[in-house]
Amino acid sequence: MRPLGWAASTAVLAVLASVPWIASPTLIQFGITTLLLATVAQAWNIVGGYAGYASFGNSVFYGLGSYGTAIAMVQLNLPFGVGLALGAALAMLFALLLGLPVLRLRGHYFAIATLALALAMTGIVSNLEIAGRNTGLVLPLLKGDALFYELALGLLALVTLTVIWISRSRFGFGLIAIREDEDAAAVMGVNTTLFKAAAFTLAGFFTALAGGIHAYWITFIDPVSAFDITLNVKMIIMAIFGGAGSVLGPLVGALLLASISEVLTTEVSTAASLFYGLVIVVAVVFMPRGLVNVVRHFKRLGWRYFSENLRSHRL
Amino acid sequence: MKRLLCYGIVALGLVEPALAEQTITLGASVQETGALANTGRYYRDGYEFAVQRINDRGGVKVGGEHYRLALKIFDNQSDVNLSVRQYTQLLTQDKVNFLLGPFASDYALADSSVAEKYEVPMIEGGGASDQIFSRGYKYIFGTLPVASRYFESTVEVLTKLDPAPKTVALVYADDAFDVAVAKGTRERLQNGGFKIAQDERYSSNTSDFSSLISQTKASAPDVVLVAGHETEALNFIRQSKSLDFSPKLYAFTVGVPTADFRHALGADANYAFGMTSWLPSAALKDDYFSNAEIFAGDYRKQFGYDPDYHAASAVADVETFAKAIEAAGTLDPKKVRDAIAQVDFESLYGRIQFSAAGQINLPQTVVQVQNDSLVPIYGHKGFINKPRYPMPAWDKRQ
Amino acid sequence: MALLLQVLANGILLGGLYALMALGLALVWGVLNIVNLAHGAFIMLGAYASYYLFTLLHLDPFAALPLCMLALFLFGYLLQRHVLNLIVRAPMFNTLLVTFGLDVVLTYLAQIVFSADFRVVNPGYAGANFALAGVTLPLVRALAFAVALVLTFALWLLLAHTRLGRAVRACAHNLVAARLYGVEPRTVYALTFGLGAALAGAAGDLYGVVSQFNPYIGDALTAKSFAISIIGGLENPLGVVVGGLFLGILESLTSLYVGPTYTDVASFGVLVLVLIVRPKGLLGRAT
Repeated sequence: MRPLGWAASTAVLAVLASVPWIASPTLIQFGITTLLLATVAQAWNIVGGYAGYASFGNSVFYGLGSYGTAIAMVQLNLPFGVGLALGAALAMLFALLLGLPVLRLRGHYFAIATLALALAMTGIVSNLEIAGRNTGLVLPLLKGDALFYELALGLLALVTLTVIWISRSRFGFGLIAIREDEDAAAVMGVNTTLFKAAAFTLAGFFTALAGGIHAYWITFIDPVSAFDITLNVKMIIMAIFGGAGSVLGPLVGALLLASISEVLTTEVSTAASLFYGLVIVVAVVFMPRGLVNVVRHFKRLGWRYFSENLRSHRL
Repeated sequence: MKRLLCYGIVALGLVEPALAEQTITLGASVQETGALANTGRYYRDGYEFAVQRINDRGGVKVGGEHYRLALKIFDNQSDVNLSVRQYTQLLTQDKVNFLLGPFASDYALADSSVAEKYEVPMIEGGGASDQIFSRGYKYIFGTLPVASRYFESTVEVLTKLDPAPKTVALVYADDAFDVAVAKGTRERLQNGGFKIAQDERYSSNTSDFSSLISQTKASAPDVVLVAGHETEALNFIRQSKSLDFSPKLYAFTVGVPTADFRHALGADANYAFGMTSWLPSAALKDDYFSNAEIFAGDYRKQFGYDPDYHAASAVADVETFAKAIEAAGTLDPKKVRDAIAQVDFESLYGRIQFSAAGQINLPQTVVQVQNDSLVPIYGHKGFINKPRYPMPAWDKRQ
Repeated sequence: MALLLQVLANGILLGGLYALMALGLALVWGVLNIVNLAHGAFIMLGAYASYYLFTLLHLDPFAALPLCMLALFLFGYLLQRHVLNLIVRAPMFNTLLVTFGLDVVLTYLAQIVFSADFRVVNPGYAGANFALAGVTLPLVRALAFAVALVLTFALWLLLAHTRLGRAVRACAHNLVAARLYGVEPRTVYALTFGLGAALAGAAGDLYGVVSQFNPYIGDALTAKSFAISIIGGLENPLGVVVGGLFLGILESLTSLYVGPTYTDVASFGVLVLVLIVRPKGLLGRAT
């Protein structure tokens, strides 16, 4: 990014950071939710967008982060920071132990395997006494949202910086090579196993931290809500809608979709889920490469962009 | 549609400038859609019915001034995380005065933290788990009886039956409410001298009980106590029939008092025991609805289905706010909270009074389905009707 | 010992039900390479179809089977022809997302139209059972098992020995070549997807007799169907029966020996294991 880009980003960051002191509590709440969603979408982007491995198991990382924090604070009486670290450690361990065998699978088999992992983990955690079994855990109450907001903002900045670094590093090029043609990448000397595992672990790290912050903020977690598959789908949709494999894509997607969803939930609350379903269908059919890609090509192609997409993908 | 109309009328009442009436807004996040919508609607309709009726009867008087009640309800789509955000929004953006609770213990557990965080009282009629009230929170009150005591009256009945049952199987779902029920019931059974032949926890939303029923059948208990959700109770009974399992008595925490549960099972529902903290009896007098029997009739006329204890509990929540606000003489949340803690009045739901922890104390009436209708069997005054015991084998029923 | 036999019998019959549920998904996935995340929603729609046929027209669920299948077939055909055909040549992942979106929309619409109330289909023989070697067998489940076998066999016959079946397999192998031979892929894909939906409809028709249902049962059923399809293997229609039996018995034994709360852990844990060790499933060739 050119110096102007950095200056602009810093300005935006400064404005966003001041929100808890100038905005209404509802806006702060919306901010926290959106920032966390953008973080998990951006984290998914690393393994799903850059490496091309569409993971349905990021909700496991989120859940592990939530439970790590909750168990540390509730069962072991440790401070929040330690809880977050524990959650992140659990997620990274999981990414390495189970990620390695599962990353050997390609295409939709990988997606299904990660989905199965998420479902299995929900079942396992709902049987663990230390996790409160299926009734869940109640975390201590912290009055005031400013801490959570700033943490979420900081986390989003961190993960976005990571993705910027990825987008111009050898690591990132390696991931893109894996996405485009894994066998060719291996032949060219890319250590595909290492790179994939690293991407998965990185994604896990950030997603777990987001889960931990969310758990403390919402003060109650149970297996179903912590390992929620619909969250995984949401992060995928946001990343794809915005543009997977780009830096800004997940941010744009998260902000747009979260805003529209929030408005709907307030005004026409029951139609919110219908909206999500329709957005998914329309976005995937007409703009599978995301909004960022649309913006990039619309100037040149106009409305033909959408019909080109259709023509190349339909039967 | 009716709901939109009701809400529209209430909203219109708010907008009308000529009346310049003051309003007290109650906010709630309820399961209007999603897996729990089946029961969630009782709360939405109960809240609306109560607000409507209280306003018809003159509203609420606060320190000499006249106020109308208004309602703001969000649909949490049966998503706990969403319900927490919605309650926060109700307080911070919509600036409601007080909160009404959601259905189900896990929701009440999470949402009550919002009330406590912002120090605005919430009265919920949908969560019975002891856990909700054991955290030292000051701003949460509940009108469902304590979960651990749900089977108390039923166990009392067991001690009075002849031939006396000796072995009991306890089967329960693994959510907050049912685990609390099982914990209390276990102790009660042990104190009552019963042998617990089976003590089995199953996953919420289980649809196939074949193995569980086969295991229970093999341990040959006299009595089976099931703590679970309506859909699970339904499947349990149907699958018991198809596996030819018929203990001397089986009792369920939920389902039996609800009309569509019995309707779905048809004749298979007979002999099943259940419990309810409320029956539409004319003996339960109310300041706004005359009595519970008239209330039930009016409710049915308005909404097209019979109310059960969920709806009555919801109505009681609104009435409690009305009474507490009038007693406090102010809309200050802290003072209203103190007034709620002190209430003591008779309503169509029963006597409204909260323990120090914030939970109501209502006995459960044991009921049984006999000849396709619901018959109250045993209340706090003893036997009301004769129970049909023991239950005949499936192929021997008339 | 008697308990073990009964639990095994339960598992086998459950397996039959599972096989019926997964058949449609396995067909569409194995042959068309379309992963239909809305499969459970189709089953749910089949259940509602049989419910209304039973309540309004007093049509017995087994008699209503062909009607439910026809209704779902038309629905699936139209869906594939006009919506899913648009993304067939896109990366596989897109079908996952689109069908997920469809699942959300269908669930929402079902709730609006049918309400969230649970329903059952309760014909007089719903609780009937018979004893065999000391084991109690529910009649409806035994019949569902038979229906699953019949449909699986019929499907195998269709794919292996009819023109349509050959056309479907040709499209799956080589689209261009199939076109050159005069096969119209759009119609063939739509017919196959319709068939998959019809099979889901059959499963839904019988599901209501065995368990209560509401608009939200779809997701759990889809997840189960996935496990069954993969464990059995997608290359052979019989794989679904094998997968269903395996899972049914596994779950029943887990419930008996470990505990009823561990059944999901067992099913999905085994699914992960199978994917890692033997992705083509029990009946597929070892990788």
